[in-house]
Amino acid sequence: MTIISARNVNKYFYVPEELHALRDVSLDVAPGEVVVIIGPSGSGKSTFLRCLNRLEYADSGEILIEGRDILDPKCEINEVRAEVGMVFQSFNLFPHLSVLENVALAQMTVRKRSRAESEKKGMELLTKVGIADKHAVYPDQLSGGQQQRVAIARSLAMDPKIMLFDEPTSALDPEMVGEVLDVMRNLAREGMTMVVVTHEMGFAREVADRVVFMDHGAILEIATPKDLFTTGATHDRTKLFLSQIL
Amino acid sequence: MTQYRGLDKPRGQGYFLFWKAVFVGIMLCTVAFFWYASSSVEYIWRWNRVPQYFWVAEKTDVRAEVSGDVVSVETTAEGATRITVKGDDGSETYTVPPAGKVLISGGDYIYSGDPVGRYEVSKPGILLEGLWITLEVSMLAIIIGIVLGVVTGLARISVNPALRWLAITYIEIIRGSPLLVQVFLWYFVVGTLLNALFEKVGLSAIPPLWYGVMALAIFTGAYVAEIVRAGIQSVHRGQMEAARSLGMSYAQSMRKVILPQAFRRIMPPLAGQFISLVKDSSLLGVIAVRELTKATREVVTTSLQPFELWIVCALLYLVLTFTLSLCVQYLERRAVR
Repeated sequence: MTIISARNVNKYFYVPEELHALRDVSLDVAPGEVVVIIGPSGSGKSTFLRCLNRLEYADSGEILIEGRDILDPKCEINEVRAEVGMVFQSFNLFPHLSVLENVALAQMTVRKRSRAESEKKGMELLTKVGIADKHAVYPDQLSGGQQQRVAIARSLAMDPKIMLFDEPTSALDPEMVGEVLDVMRNLAREGMTMVVVTHEMGFAREVADRVVFMDHGAILEIATPKDLFTTGATHDRTKLFLSQIL
Repeated sequence: MTQYRGLDKPRGQGYFLFWKAVFVGIMLCTVAFFWYASSSVEYIWRWNRVPQYFWVAEKTDVRAEVSGDVVSVETTAEGATRITVKGDDGSETYTVPPAGKVLISGGDYIYSGDPVGRYEVSKPGILLEGLWITLEVSMLAIIIGIVLGVVTGLARISVNPALRWLAITYIEIIRGSPLLVQVFLWYFVVGTLLNALFEKVGLSAIPPLWYGVMALAIFTGAYVAEIVRAGIQSVHRGQMEAARSLGMSYAQSMRKVILPQAFRRIMPPLAGQFISLVKDSSLLGVIAVRELTKATREVVTTSLQPFELWIVCALLYLVLTFTLSLCVQYLERRAVR
């Protein structure tokens, strides 16, 4: 039983120069599983993550989300995306809307909920990420950590089955990282299916069911955190990477 | 008081006083020069003659057209006076409006051509009418120009080749020829063709004003399209990605996320474009639209007071454009988010 199934995904970039960004990447994720993708920068982790909700269109291979082939041109991608939440490195909150409007907007336009219902749900989620008292302010009045928690609440408001995290703590001051990771930890505990690209090895060790190591657009190693961090990696490149950052 | 703005050494109070005085001095010198130059050509300033072109108040007589006895003078319910004169070939009735003055009384014998009443006509003068036409033409062109510009701007960044190329063709053609030529094209080419067609099917011709409005609107639309495109592209692509990742469609993301942010940014260049439009409307005089400039030209030929009238004309444009930029500033401040 898989909720995400990627088979031999290839992706090329032609600008600024030709680059084989993903090389035959295959990964299955079971419902409720937390998969953390690590690797050096430029290794294709974010590209792979963005292929999973088709923010990047993979050039070949097969990607099934809840059994739906998203590379099929006939696929209703907006329906799939509504089920797949995404959290960005740079938050990407809507600066012209208040925090509560940020969380309510997609509920109203995509889920067709009433404003009252959307705002009620929005307040619940803002309470959950610990930021309910700021519901009326605008994103630029919040700290980075607060913005990222709002962004998580915004994604959760769609009741997604899968959450994708693209380096959610990389743009944060060190003291803000903890509050965002706490929210993600709670989410994992509640049984959310999560794919997380991160450099937070502590989070990977503690929360991940499996850790994926990528380099040069290919998956080199998939292991449990225990195997990877305690017993030791099998692949030399993984060992080198871990020795440099741990 | 020092106003230290960093980077350069702090300025003292004397510095600011001196340069403010220089500013005032330059302004005074300019005015003095014009005054001296005009008096040396013995131009006689007659500012008192200007107001009559803003508001006309003239006396009109109601004259009898037959000779005979005034048989009745009665006041109607509205306050007007009805005077009936019985002449040799029957009786006639004249009406003096409520504010008018009756010059005869019942039983008087009057001759044909005698005034029986007198009233004042008070109406906007030719300059005010011209100002109104300029305002009307500009507002219509701005509204149509915005709609056209937004649609074209969106088409310009569309993936659909037909839409994109249509937008590019439109923008390049319009930006590549002078507005005056376009006004002529609209009136003498499009206008002639359309009015001929209309005549054939028995419809009345479209007045020149509408060709002028179309020329201005389509000219402005091309520039607004480029402003809108730049505004949309200035919104960080992460905004579109975030909206799409939530499951919103392209159209929904555009409407709810991208355009509101883009509009805030394009407000200042848009204001500049519309101010140009108000001034460009002065070209419509060439196709017999009697807007402010054309009205001024007509008044100048009859009054022979070109100095005062052209200065007034410029000031009236200034009032229009300044009001417009105040409105935009207000909108900008309201749309700070």
